[in-house]
Amino acid sequence: MPARKHAKKIYEHFNKIVADPVLQIKRLKKTGSFRIIGWVPTDVPEELIHAAGALPIGIVALERQAVSLSTPHMQVWSCSLMRCALGMALEGSFDLLNGLIIPVICDTTRMVTGIWKQVKPYAFMDNFLLPKQVDRPSAKDYLIGEMGRLKARLEQFMDRTITASELCASIRLYNHNRSVMRKLFSLHTEHPELLSNRNMYNIIKSSMLMPKELHTNMIAELWQELEKKVDDNKSAGKKCHVRLLLSGKVWEPPVIMDIFDGLDIVSAGDDFCTGYRYIANDVPETGEPLRALAERQFNRLPIAAFAGKSGDRAKSIIKMVEETHAHGVLFVHLKYCEPENFDYPMLRDDLSAYGIPNCRIETEIDSLPGENYFEQIKAFIDSIGGVV
Amino acid sequence: MVVSPSFKTTSLFKQMMAEYHERGVAAKEKGIPVAWVTATFPVEIIYAAGLFPYYPENFGARIAAKKVADRISAAAEEKGYFPDLCAYARCGIGNAFSVERPAGEVLKPDVVFCSNAQCGSLQKWFEAAGRYYQVPFFLIDTPLIENTPTTLIKRYIVEQLHELLDFLELYTGNTFNFSRLAEVISLSNEACRLWNEILNMAALKPAPFGYFDACYHLAPIVAWRGTKWAVDYYKELKKELEERLDNNVYVISDERYKLYFDHIPVWPRLRWFSNLLMERKALAVASQYTHSWAWRFDLNRPLESLVKNYTEVFINRGYEYRLQQKIILMKEFKVDGFILFSNRSCKPKALGLYDKYQIISDRTGLPGVIFEADMSDERYFDEEYIKKLFAEFFDRLEHNSN
Repeated sequence: MPARKHAKKIYEHFNKIVADPVLQIKRLKKTGSFRIIGWVPTDVPEELIHAAGALPIGIVALERQAVSLSTPHMQVWSCSLMRCALGMALEGSFDLLNGLIIPVICDTTRMVTGIWKQVKPYAFMDNFLLPKQVDRPSAKDYLIGEMGRLKARLEQFMDRTITASELCASIRLYNHNRSVMRKLFSLHTEHPELLSNRNMYNIIKSSMLMPKELHTNMIAELWQELEKKVDDNKSAGKKCHVRLLLSGKVWEPPVIMDIFDGLDIVSAGDDFCTGYRYIANDVPETGEPLRALAERQFNRLPIAAFAGKSGDRAKSIIKMVEETHAHGVLFVHLKYCEPENFDYPMLRDDLSAYGIPNCRIETEIDSLPGENYFEQIKAFIDSIGGVV
Repeated sequence: MVVSPSFKTTSLFKQMMAEYHERGVAAKEKGIPVAWVTATFPVEIIYAAGLFPYYPENFGARIAAKKVADRISAAAEEKGYFPDLCAYARCGIGNAFSVERPAGEVLKPDVVFCSNAQCGSLQKWFEAAGRYYQVPFFLIDTPLIENTPTTLIKRYIVEQLHELLDFLELYTGNTFNFSRLAEVISLSNEACRLWNEILNMAALKPAPFGYFDACYHLAPIVAWRGTKWAVDYYKELKKELEERLDNNVYVISDERYKLYFDHIPVWPRLRWFSNLLMERKALAVASQYTHSWAWRFDLNRPLESLVKNYTEVFINRGYEYRLQQKIILMKEFKVDGFILFSNRSCKPKALGLYDKYQIISDRTGLPGVIFEADMSDERYFDEEYIKKLFAEFFDRLEHNSN
């Protein structure tokens, strides 16, 4: 089979998983008798779930029509990401899950567990309580303790002990998966004509919805195909793209990536929980594994949920812009996302003062695929000189 | 604004509030750092370190009660802070940018202290303030206590208090004074005891004092807790309430219903709501909000006791605990019905109320009402919708009592 066709087939596989997460969970359930534990974005240590013998599944692929189902339980002025997740649960989309972990990263995630337990309980439910200050020694001690607490709860639920060597093996598996995705991301930023925004981000998202072993294998296969095409393309001359850095919580709705692809824009990086930030750094493979998991958490790209380093968020974004040679920054903010909305004015001003063009679009999970987004994004890239 | 008419203490309140601001200005002039603090921050430590604590949340309430929150918020909105953010935060930020001062000025901080036990909005607001004013920002991070407080969380917060003491010693250049801390905590205990006794008077029928009065007289327990000021103020208020009881002066002499109000009031509509209830001889008598400051500290274990009180506060608790606490207050105050306020400015208080409404109804058999609005911003206040909701609620209340 020619390389291009084969790659297309692999993309289609990833895309199908993201397009129908409910079917994907059903498929997974059929493949074995393991338990599936869902997690809500972001920063849940999946390695712990995996080492406990369960399959972690991210609640990251969303069905926008489910948002309204949560209305009797959640105010319409709370973020549509959580409303959609709860709505999908109410619809029965996650009935095959054995458990759910919700990290407290904002006021909405802090409150939604109580509601969820009330209206759609699972056998195992946990609030993962991440520290919000991240610069002082107390935060590290506490997070290691919190990882230990979650580990103990998982052990109790799974009726087994998680050994250090099992946890280290899971860490290696997840690190490897992240590293192959980073390699792909790098190829995507250089050759978006081979690996589009939509395909790249679906690859990242699908990694949260399937066994990592399988995902890594599929990437290896894809890599072989793409390598061949990179060689073929070398002589063909590359099409010019506008390079943008993205910032926000999640790249929702996915139509934004299609707009990027249509306008020859390449995402050069991001701090999305469902994007590059998910794969940006690894867990150290030496030392005590819980401490190593905590180490990764403190080294992740700063986001609005955490104080201390979030003061450095502007610096972090500026550094990424420089490293990726991005032409500007597009903020993709979910309506009613308070942490992002609080950070935005100062980030905007800091970037502008540094001479980095930037623009903000406000999205909702259930907003209709949109001409509005297209117009805003088009106007922004026109303002920075269009395709270079 | 007076909810129950002609409290003598009201003029004392106004006078003391003005003096409080002047003291802050004077402190700044003398080189005493002004420290912004949040309502559930262990302020006793800040007093003991010799700083002048200042509560921007009080400013938020004051500006809302003066019905000018939208004007000050507009200054923040122009800078890109969206109207769906907490209105206190918008007003606090708006004050920094606004040229008008319809409710006075916020004292500029020299250092910013925040506890996120109440919410994440405070964390983000104070973090932004720290950056805007270019002053240190210190966060006491208080993880949610879903059921019972764990050793892990308690240890984490005690450790953070030690970090706070280290920070303060470095910041002030002075060794932390634990004897002074004991004095401050004693004063907090005394003020909290008096506040609790005052709140409990609302359980009498008829009562000389209700929830809306408590909202008016709340600022001293929030802002002056740990000082003689708060103790003196509540002694005066309690004395006046006892005189009222002796003279048979009540909020509603023919009080018919007692109601539970959850949680914070709609500040610009304090009088409006009070009248709405009064027309039907109903008095709001209890709320988790006003009871939040009814603390008791243990002088033998000062730091642990501060941790216990400030982190186990109801707003930092899980769904079922908070639900039970509401019902306990309803029983203690023998209420006939309940009001739940789905406050756009406050997700930690509002989210979950839709289901809690039904659960409370089922567990207590009491009639209730739930309404949508914002604690400060009248742009989200639909008077006709609320009147209609309450008319139906009062009908059910009446039906129930018959």
